[in-house]
Amino acid sequence: MDDSTQKSKYKPVTVEKPIPLQYDLAILAGFDTNALDESRLKNDADTYLEEYTRDGTQLIINQIFKLPVTSSDLGVMAELPDLVTVLPREKPLPKPKPLTRWEKFAKIKGVQHRKKSKMIHDEATGEWVPRWGYKGTNDDGANDWLIPVPDNADPFEDQFTKKREVKKERITKNEARHRRNVEEAEIALNQSKGVNDVNTRSLRRTELQKQIIISKTATASMGKFDKHLEGEPKLKGVKRKFEPIIGDVKKEKESSLNILNKVVGKKGDIVNVRKAIAKRDQK
Amino acid sequence: MRQLTEDETKVFFEKLAKYEALMKQAISVGRDQLISLGVCFGKFTKSKKFKLHITALDYLAQYAKYKVWIKPNGENTFLYGNNVLKAHLGRITDDTPEHQGVVIYSMSDIPLGFGVTARSTVETRKLQPTDIVAFHQADIGEYLREQDTLF
Repeated sequence: MDDSTQKSKYKPVTVEKPIPLQYDLAILAGFDTNALDESRLKNDADTYLEEYTRDGTQLIINQIFKLPVTSSDLGVMAELPDLVTVLPREKPLPKPKPLTRWEKFAKIKGVQHRKKSKMIHDEATGEWVPRWGYKGTNDDGANDWLIPVPDNADPFEDQFTKKREVKKERITKNEARHRRNVEEAEIALNQSKGVNDVNTRSLRRTELQKQIIISKTATASMGKFDKHLEGEPKLKGVKRKFEPIIGDVKKEKESSLNILNKVVGKKGDIVNVRKAIAKRDQK
Repeated sequence: MRQLTEDETKVFFEKLAKYEALMKQAISVGRDQLISLGVCFGKFTKSKKFKLHITALDYLAQYAKYKVWIKPNGENTFLYGNNVLKAHLGRITDDTPEHQGVVIYSMSDIPLGFGVTARSTVETRKLQPTDIVAFHQADIGEYLREQDTLF
């Protein structure tokens, strides 16, 4: 008795669809690929859409009830699965970075990169220290309390300073290599874009020289009274070239007439309107 | 006027050839030492504008399309480098537009200089006598006033 009244009051929780729906429960969505009933959509659109929506919602809720649940203070919670729908990437994939000289070499020689841990155990102190960098271990003995003077070395030379200088040299050399890598990468990038094969370094050099020339004239006297640096090359402007004063008369005439035609040859108003009206009025 | 005979033409060209020979000799003089060769039409300013000199007047006057004639009482002031006033205007070519380069003549058709019109011919009729008709650019008085820089 109780069951029958329930059934009349509520619609059944089971919904029949010829093609089962696809779900993406992470965003609480179901996708119905079944065809719509066109005749009902035309004649009885409101009730049909209402029923259709209810059925769809019922199906999603059925799916949610199938999910694993956890109970907490707030009540029983269903755990939503991961997102199924694949969203297209907003930005294009990053292009592979151009290889550095070492990476190219390693590729040719087949040198494998083995990952090393960052911290290593320092046996002298019994502590874990970074392999390199701040408080690292690769100080090459610059922090040693004593360095034995090698046999063939100058006894008055400071071995500590020497070590420090050698390291400094290595660092500057590495920086130069890094710069070279960056420049080469830039060239490779330009080439891929179709820009002419321009040597970035020489380009920068000419650019710099241009700027120097401009800055030299950027004084009140246009650089006339400035002190010249020793060994500074004398600035040479663009040397203009002129035709000889008495040359080929025919050629000169021709070129002059050509220029004249370009300047004067433009056609203006052929008819002087004001004059024409005046003449007509006279008649 | 008549056609020259062959002998006359020969004499005429021989005379002209002397001047051409002179021009050829003149180019061997250094540019700093040589003041002028041929006719100076004008000079380029440092900002690459071209300024016509009064020395170009003979050539301009021959081919001028637009002309302005000034009365004898206005000749003097124009030759001192002043603009042409309405009061001094004798005649003007019909249909001269505004800001048009014009050659300025005395009433006896002697070219005095050149300038630029301030108003078109139609508008000049309504002007006051003291209003400017043409702006001064160059006049033959400059042969005296600017001897040093003219060539």
